[in-house]
Amino acid sequence: MIKVFFIAALFLAGKVSAHEMTPTYPPLVPSYVDGLVSAKMTMFNARQDVEYFEVGVFDAEWKPVPFAASAKIMRVPHGSTKTFEVFVRDEDKNRATFICSLSKLRTDNSARAIVSSKICSRTEAATP
Amino acid sequence: MVKYPLILTALCIPFAGNAEEALIEGNVQSKCIINTDINGVYGNPAPDKLSTKSVDGGVEPTIRFDVAIANYYMARVITPSSFSTSPSLTDVVNWTGTTTVGEVSDAGMSAYDAAKVTYDTTSEFDLTIAGSTWFKVDSVATYGFGRAFPGGTYRAVVQAECIAQ
Repeated sequence: MIKVFFIAALFLAGKVSAHEMTPTYPPLVPSYVDGLVSAKMTMFNARQDVEYFEVGVFDAEWKPVPFAASAKIMRVPHGSTKTFEVFVRDEDKNRATFICSLSKLRTDNSARAIVSSKICSRTEAATP
Repeated sequence: MVKYPLILTALCIPFAGNAEEALIEGNVQSKCIINTDINGVYGNPAPDKLSTKSVDGGVEPTIRFDVAIANYYMARVITPSSFSTSPSLTDVVNWTGTTTVGEVSDAGMSAYDAAKVTYDTTSEFDLTIAGSTWFKVDSVATYGFGRAFPGGTYRAVVQAECIAQ
């Protein structure tokens, strides 16, 4: 009975406000643009209080790595999934370690969000 | 006596020949989901103090981390060190914050608290067991040396991070 309650609670809570990004270890593969490698990521937003997410690429020391994407701050409406590609220069291929998505909170008080969520995947090349 | 097995066999053979198979495939991949189960509220138990602790009249933010496979992710919770929204403040604000394991889906996860790494306002937890862990965050802000916080709305942000290992 406790298990049933626990599983139900998990699903109910998940519906309220969840943020996820996959894959955990994306491969950086040669892209259609010369000199660039890319990783395909998928983000799911079940947070009602958040609509915008910032994408970032970092090295192992958490220093930013230059990258390109369709948008650095992208709108992912509540309950929807977005697939996007992150492009990194070939020369930064071995430096790029983390691809992260960070929820952006509104500065006005319209949504009572005070928890900012950030999920980081580790590029396959940087996987220990 | 021999007839019944024969009839039963005869009945079964045509069905076996026409059987359709519906294939269901599934794939469990490593992933981390961050859920903000409860957004916190600051209580104001004293003029110079704002606190999310329930004893201070606040509500502790509760964040749930779900991991599908063990040992793939690390949870990092950063408690506030400044207000994102506040009236103009002319004195220093002193911040303290702690992150503790609340509910767990597996009894072994209660060891996360003892194994956590804390520095500055950050707490790191290795998610070594698949399942869900609820983290509770305490945040306390005191103003100056016993000075009263000016009236207005105060808001601070807790950052919850899930980092692939």
